[in-house]
Amino acid sequence: MKRLDLQSNLAMTVTITGFSMFFATLMMGYAIYRSSSTFWPPMGFSKVSLTIPSISTFLILLSSWFCYQIKGNVKAHDFKKARLNLNLTLVLGFSFMVAQSFFWSELKASGLYVDSGIFASILYAYTWIHAAHVLAGILSLVYLSIMLKPSDDRMLIKAVNVEKFWHFLGAVWLMMFLTLFVY
Amino acid sequence: MSGGFNEIHPEPTTFISKYIISFDHKVIAKQFLWYGILFLGIGGIMALLIRWTLAYPGVPFPILGPLLFPDSAGVVPPDTYAMLFTMHGTIMIFYAITPILIGAFGNYCIPLMIGARDMAFPMLNMLSFWFAAASALVVLISLCTPLGSAAGGWTSYPTLSTMIGSPGSGQTLWCLAIFLLGISSTMGAVNYVTTVITLRAPGMGYFDMPLTVWGLWLTAILNAIFVPVLGAGVMLLMMDRVMGTTFFLAGASATAGTGDPVLFQHVFWIFGHPEVYILILPAWGIVSDLLSFFSRKPAFGAKATALSMTAVSILSTLVYGHHMFTTQMSPLLTQSFMTLTMTISIPSAIFFANWLGTIWKGSIRFDSPMLFSLGVVFVFGLGGLTGLHLGTVTTDLYLHDTYFVVGHFHYTMAASVLLGGYAGIYFWFPKMFGRMMNETLAKIHFWGTMIPLNGIFFGMLMVGYGGMHRRIYNPFVYESLQRLIPINMMITWSAILMGAFQIIFVWNFLMSLKKGPKASNNPWEVGTLEWTIPSPPVHHNYDVIPVVKCGPHEFGNPNLKNGRDFQYQTEELVRG
Repeated sequence: MKRLDLQSNLAMTVTITGFSMFFATLMMGYAIYRSSSTFWPPMGFSKVSLTIPSISTFLILLSSWFCYQIKGNVKAHDFKKARLNLNLTLVLGFSFMVAQSFFWSELKASGLYVDSGIFASILYAYTWIHAAHVLAGILSLVYLSIMLKPSDDRMLIKAVNVEKFWHFLGAVWLMMFLTLFVY
Repeated sequence: MSGGFNEIHPEPTTFISKYIISFDHKVIAKQFLWYGILFLGIGGIMALLIRWTLAYPGVPFPILGPLLFPDSAGVVPPDTYAMLFTMHGTIMIFYAITPILIGAFGNYCIPLMIGARDMAFPMLNMLSFWFAAASALVVLISLCTPLGSAAGGWTSYPTLSTMIGSPGSGQTLWCLAIFLLGISSTMGAVNYVTTVITLRAPGMGYFDMPLTVWGLWLTAILNAIFVPVLGAGVMLLMMDRVMGTTFFLAGASATAGTGDPVLFQHVFWIFGHPEVYILILPAWGIVSDLLSFFSRKPAFGAKATALSMTAVSILSTLVYGHHMFTTQMSPLLTQSFMTLTMTISIPSAIFFANWLGTIWKGSIRFDSPMLFSLGVVFVFGLGGLTGLHLGTVTTDLYLHDTYFVVGHFHYTMAASVLLGGYAGIYFWFPKMFGRMMNETLAKIHFWGTMIPLNGIFFGMLMVGYGGMHRRIYNPFVYESLQRLIPINMMITWSAILMGAFQIIFVWNFLMSLKKGPKASNNPWEVGTLEWTIPSPPVHHNYDVIPVVKCGPHEFGNPNLKNGRDFQYQTEELVRG
């Protein structure tokens, strides 16, 4: 059993390494656009409001905190609490997606469309790509929710792997929030 | 951690579960092999169309020409020529070499050579193949779109690959196909890395692994790290084409804060240079093993070879800038990249010397796998040496984008990998299918490949040095290049000859599948684990997980008393 857990753990680590390279490439692109531009945002554009991105950040970080609890609950065989934390993570994950859709509507309302140049390209494309991954994260949480039963002796590694992926998505968002919106 | 794999998915009972959605690594390996051979044929025909156009511009391509290009009376039209060189490169790299070297050999060899019953994640393995199949379907569909397939070169540099340079859906489908293939490769990489780390047989340390496994493992690590980089690049390119973003558009088409076409080149080569090693590491590993097996000598400096391959893998991540010397890069950067590139020569020279040390004074058996392996040593030597000219800034400025580059990367990525692939196929065919291939036909195939192959690629080096640029439909509109027509004709006839000799391989492969003599468990008299079990292996590979007691290259031990000149890895090392 230990070997199977090690396999799952390793596989998730390699997978997250791949995803990290994917997002690192996107961020490298952003760094180059930004550093080679005389003004940022480019002339004719202004910084986007921080309100909704801040709410998104709060939601996804809070969801990570609840997600972090699941592992401990499974270890302690407290499956009632584990399910509660899992459901809270799911609700917050959905709320993050809703907040993001409000963010895109706000961008559109302010006249910033996806084809409005590199500034808009980055805002839209990067948040879309991240949201697509969050959707995959939500699916993995749903999978965990379906699988969550005391009789499964590999429950802990499943919870650990889904948690890792979810934290990774939170970390990517935090980096995007700080670099694309705050800085 | 090693310790073997005792669990196994149940044996399939239906045709679909056995041959279509199989979880068995051996079946998946064969699926990848057929897939790769099919695309090798398609890519090969494209190469002949390209070569014919360069030797006989304006002359209809014999036989197939009038069928393929009725509007131009059988002559390859200029826009089709651009699609041909783009898709030839794409297909050969991503759909022929990758599935054969990594998909087929990776799947077949890793579990068998480390003493496991299957990959760590059999279902992920099956999905990896079907993602690759979906990607192949998309690429084939792209050939049938109204404006034709991608035509911006296999590197797909913007602005050639944006909607301005390549209107129509061909290039978009190219991006989608590469993205899907990237998912497939990453799935494979996760599986290979995990399998090697966790499923080695008890007693098998990392340096007890055959060098083939080392090569495939390092390839998987590079794949996991760098394929997602290309994934990000083609994702953004696809968005530029479909959604109206402007990541790689500059100037009038993206006036409100411009994008950067050169950024794609950076992203492409951050992936692209490790990709060269992703493709060649399995071939290096296979050749390192086969040279020892057929010289009947331990691999000289096997540990150093494994570590050198590791060093090359690490260095390969730091040198991508040498592909971009002509993009107005700062001289400080070009010189740094040049120095790092030259550093790769050190580990490469170490394992190359080890190859020579392995065959030195060996009792060489010139069976077909050995002939192809020796072929790799020769062509990789030439490919490596010509790389020095291109890694040096001063000479690269002249040679950049000439046929010298085409000759160089064909020597390294095409010739070495193709010959390495053939060596592997001839070597593991008996284990895979339980029958022997015809040795005489194999030897004819070797010489019929090796001699024309050098005619093609050395010819390319010559015309490139003579100033002929790549990707030009008819270079001979430039008077200064007309003197190169005879060499181009020689290259083309070499290509036709080489193509013709591949028919012998296909014939031999197909006939041996049906009528080849039955193979014994160990026809090559080799000691690695896969040769301790029946040919072909049973569903679960090993009845009992083997315990490894010695290395994979124990040959010519004078203390051996049993009439054999080799030891199985499951045997205690005989000492005097």
